[in-house]
Amino acid sequence: MSDQPIGDQPSPRDNSKRGFLFGLSRLVGAAAAVQLLGGNAISTALAYSPNPHSSEHAGKLFSQAEMLLLRDICTQVIPKTATAGAAEVDTHGFIDNQLYSCYQREDQQKVSSVLLKIEQVAMQRYHQPFSSTTTTEQYALLTDLEKPANGFDDSDRSHFKFLKSQIVFGYYTSEVGASQELEYSAVPGGFKGSIPYDSVGKAWGSLGI
Amino acid sequence: MNDDLYIRESSEVYDAIVVGSGISGGWAAKELCERGFKTLMIERGRVVEHRKDYIGEGVPEWKQPHRGVVNNLVTEQQKIQKECYAFNDSTKHFFGNDRDLPYQTAPGTTFSWIRGNQLGGKSLTWHRQSYRLSDHDFSANKLDGFGTDWPIRYQDLAPWYSHVEKHAGISGESAGLPQLPDGEFLPPFEMTVPEIAIKASIEENYPDRKLIMGRMAHLTEPTELHISQGRVNCQTRNECQKGCSFGAYFSTQSSTLPAAAKTGNLHIAANSVVHSLIYDEKTRRVKGVRVIDNDDLSEREYLGKIVFMCASTIGSAQVMLNSKSKAFPNGIANSSGVLGHYLMDHNYNARIEGEIPGFEDEYYQGRRPGGLLIPNFQYEPSRYNKNYVRGYSFSGDASRENWKSTGERDGIGADFKAQLSQAGKWKFWMMAQGEMLPRFENQMGLHATLKDKWGMPQLEFDCRWSDNEKLMMEDAAEVGHQMFLKAGLENVTSEFTERPVGIAIHELGTARMGRDPKTSVLNGYNQCHDIDNLFVTDGASFSSSATQNPSLTFMALTARAVDYAAKEIKAGRI
Repeated sequence: MSDQPIGDQPSPRDNSKRGFLFGLSRLVGAAAAVQLLGGNAISTALAYSPNPHSSEHAGKLFSQAEMLLLRDICTQVIPKTATAGAAEVDTHGFIDNQLYSCYQREDQQKVSSVLLKIEQVAMQRYHQPFSSTTTTEQYALLTDLEKPANGFDDSDRSHFKFLKSQIVFGYYTSEVGASQELEYSAVPGGFKGSIPYDSVGKAWGSLGI
Repeated sequence: MNDDLYIRESSEVYDAIVVGSGISGGWAAKELCERGFKTLMIERGRVVEHRKDYIGEGVPEWKQPHRGVVNNLVTEQQKIQKECYAFNDSTKHFFGNDRDLPYQTAPGTTFSWIRGNQLGGKSLTWHRQSYRLSDHDFSANKLDGFGTDWPIRYQDLAPWYSHVEKHAGISGESAGLPQLPDGEFLPPFEMTVPEIAIKASIEENYPDRKLIMGRMAHLTEPTELHISQGRVNCQTRNECQKGCSFGAYFSTQSSTLPAAAKTGNLHIAANSVVHSLIYDEKTRRVKGVRVIDNDDLSEREYLGKIVFMCASTIGSAQVMLNSKSKAFPNGIANSSGVLGHYLMDHNYNARIEGEIPGFEDEYYQGRRPGGLLIPNFQYEPSRYNKNYVRGYSFSGDASRENWKSTGERDGIGADFKAQLSQAGKWKFWMMAQGEMLPRFENQMGLHATLKDKWGMPQLEFDCRWSDNEKLMMEDAAEVGHQMFLKAGLENVTSEFTERPVGIAIHELGTARMGRDPKTSVLNGYNQCHDIDNLFVTDGASFSSSATQNPSLTFMALTARAVDYAAKEIKAGRI
């Protein structure tokens, strides 16, 4: 990072609510700022909390077997690299909760039907469930699905595209995705129209409204 | 500040009543209170306290219930509100509940009515673009014959624009354009390097067009006045519609309400749905308002010597249409019969997008809360396109792609993840903002039988785009497309859409100003021709829509009308 915090001032690229508190403190004093923020925040009790075991039992929409399959698809689409991947941050559990709460049956069924199709093609091609196949086989199968080729059709591709959009959304709005894989700035402190790309080196993960 | 700011029952006769607490209502209250008027501001919705009630502010995506997406129950209750670009899980409480706020549309028409029924109104959720109207706008109706002549000209309003700009805090660049007068600006936001390149191309290829930084009600560099109000500089979070505890954008809460409250003259009656105005046949004046309680539906009255209607273009007209008396059987101050007619919005139905090649080493820091503007270049009849009258502006900006678009690409695995972690290509988009002609046929009226839960007659809208608006947008899509190509953009796409009237949330014109009491509701001071102590200073008063975002003009008209009313009262004429 090119700009380190100076004195007490948080870096403009802070990834926490520190910057927000700092700015607010100048207006209303530190104690009041903390109180305001505590009182303000939408109850986070309702937020989906990542659960390391969500593929071990049925979700709100999906069976345990589907949750396991969903987890392994998440692993393939956004794998663990230097940062955690989609499965490590429980994107599969997030998707189950998100589709249940915010989407209608038609969209939910897109995911159910593509999960079923993936399992059918895995059985035909490899004679075992998707989750038991090798990483290479899983990658090949999902790549065929997106083309679509070798047993997958346009409708499968379209259902997979919807699922993939949920995986992408779930990962890049997770704390790891938004603030480790990408650069998160809660309170930028001002707008600079030109900075060298290399000074950030990756995309902003904080996107505003 | 008085210690009983909020009131419920009162038999007091206030010096002034202001109906509404949004951009216009806040200004009316401030200007009245500062002139010593004991003022009652009436708001139909709940109280929203600055900072304390910004419940969606400062919460990162992963701590939100559904990462900003609204759940099925909310979607069901706010079916129309969710059409607004600013509606999401962190802002939904500043939009109305459509289930409780029904309205009708004439067969074959649609109208999207976006609501902000809380203290502060839509000043909390507006897009903060702030432009002066010019003499070309005030003269357009007279010159081409569509609509009635505005009874005012730019010089009448110019000092009031300055007055409100200094208080509100408007950032922007001076451009010396005849169609978009300069104002009292704080420094403009910076352009990005690709935007500067596109600006150069457009201005070279089209001598009649300028690309300027948008003028916005954001404190880029607060003045002593702003700092004394507890406002600081914009942090460029671009999450404004959640509410801003920094007070960095203009809202009732950040700017006009504290100024009004400081005088000790302000009282607020929240949760008070104004049903109608009380008219005194003997004195031929309004003497107060009838109110239905938002929560328990009980009835009460508030009395005042003068009334300012600032309840929004549609809200003010609805209350006035529902205020029937022997003298005004078709709605108060409606001897002309035009109340509810000449409803306008802005037309955003052309959009152009393209990729900007190069600039891979360039990036930006912060989230600029607004974009660029190409002001209307068809601003006088000699510049009109041959197929239609009036013109449009373009607004938009450049940014680099992120996972929201690159995530739609084909691919999985580590390479896919690596691509998404990087900023993508630069893209530039613009949307036309077209003038909508004032037409008698475009109207809102009271439904004969249907009522809402407060017993107010439901509104029925009959409002549609005319051929003039359609031809204008088809042309804008094509003109924008060519402009993008000439600027060297790639993969340029343009579209002409038919989004409904209302969704621009720039409703205007339902109680228009005019010189002739037979064809207009208000005179040149926003005073009803028919009733001396009744003023309408929100968007209802517009005689034409122009192309500019209207809120700054609501502010200036309101401040000017208060000044006039105060002088008339002093002179004993009201």
